[in-house]
Amino acid sequence: MESADVRPDEPGDSAMNSAVSTLEAELLANDAQAVPTSLDAFLAQVERRAFRLAEMSLGHREDAMDAVQDAMLRLVRNYRDKPAQEWTPLFWGILRRRIVDLQRRRKVRSIVVGWLGGGRDDDGDELPAWEPADNGPGPLDRLQDAQSYEDMAAAVRKLPRRQQEAFMLRVLEGLDVAETAQAMGCSEGSVKTHLSRAMHNLRDQLEEWR
Amino acid sequence: MNAPDNLERRARALYREASRHIDPATAGQLRAARREALAAATAPVHARFARTLVPAGAFAAIAVAALMVFSPRETAPVQAPGAAQTVEADGDLPPDLSNTDPSLMQNLDFYDWLATNDASQASR
Repeated sequence: MESADVRPDEPGDSAMNSAVSTLEAELLANDAQAVPTSLDAFLAQVERRAFRLAEMSLGHREDAMDAVQDAMLRLVRNYRDKPAQEWTPLFWGILRRRIVDLQRRRKVRSIVVGWLGGGRDDDGDELPAWEPADNGPGPLDRLQDAQSYEDMAAAVRKLPRRQQEAFMLRVLEGLDVAETAQAMGCSEGSVKTHLSRAMHNLRDQLEEWR
Repeated sequence: MNAPDNLERRARALYREASRHIDPATAGQLRAARREALAAATAPVHARFARTLVPAGAFAAIAVAALMVFSPRETAPVQAPGAAQTVEADGDLPPDLSNTDPSLMQNLDFYDWLATNDASQASR
């Protein structure tokens, strides 16, 4: 359980909480999918979304692949005997923790690189902290709404981590509040609060979407 | 919060669309990762043990070798007390009090004279 929980139902959040709650049924209805009975089918169903979600968080394709791969391995190794209904929150919880681990590792790496003087070039401009940027042509080039997706991903990356997680799991992935709380390791009230703040921030950042 | 649905719906639609449009190379990597994860779980128990035991065995062997190389040697062979005394006397080493027969400690002056006498006779 992480200590980043916040007190739910703070002033100003209640309106958003209620609006978010009204969406719950709709989100669930839209996303009602039969739970696969085999791990293979379950992973096949979620692997691409998991990759996109990790990529959105980490902003790096290879790191995202590592996170998804590790999450799959850990789910299969540690939870394959759990009922299929529990796989969803377990998997997203594992993936969330892997993403956090990778983000922390990157931070440490960038600090070390900075200490070693590798953080700036001859002109004093900042260099990539850990690896060359992933500049290759991505699959999003083929998307009609690629720019919108990039805008959204950039806006999501600017959110505080817990808001980011609540938005991605609850809104993008469509987990219900209880599953999101389980995956995030916090209370349901905290999920609602993080989500409402995330929505508030995103609306500010993505004003043209209104 | 008049239009909360629009942002959420659009964000979600974009996310789903992006997830559907994964390039073949990435999709292949994901499939391979899934198969690898499933194979790791269904691998025979002895194979999993082997993966654990081989490094553990290697580590243990290295640890034993390191101990043999770096530990101080106390390799006095286990012999009868009398024989041990003979070896030590021949090597001109001081007697080991803990291993020495107490009866031999009573006439040290005599043994000292005897050793000196033997040495002087041998040098002639």
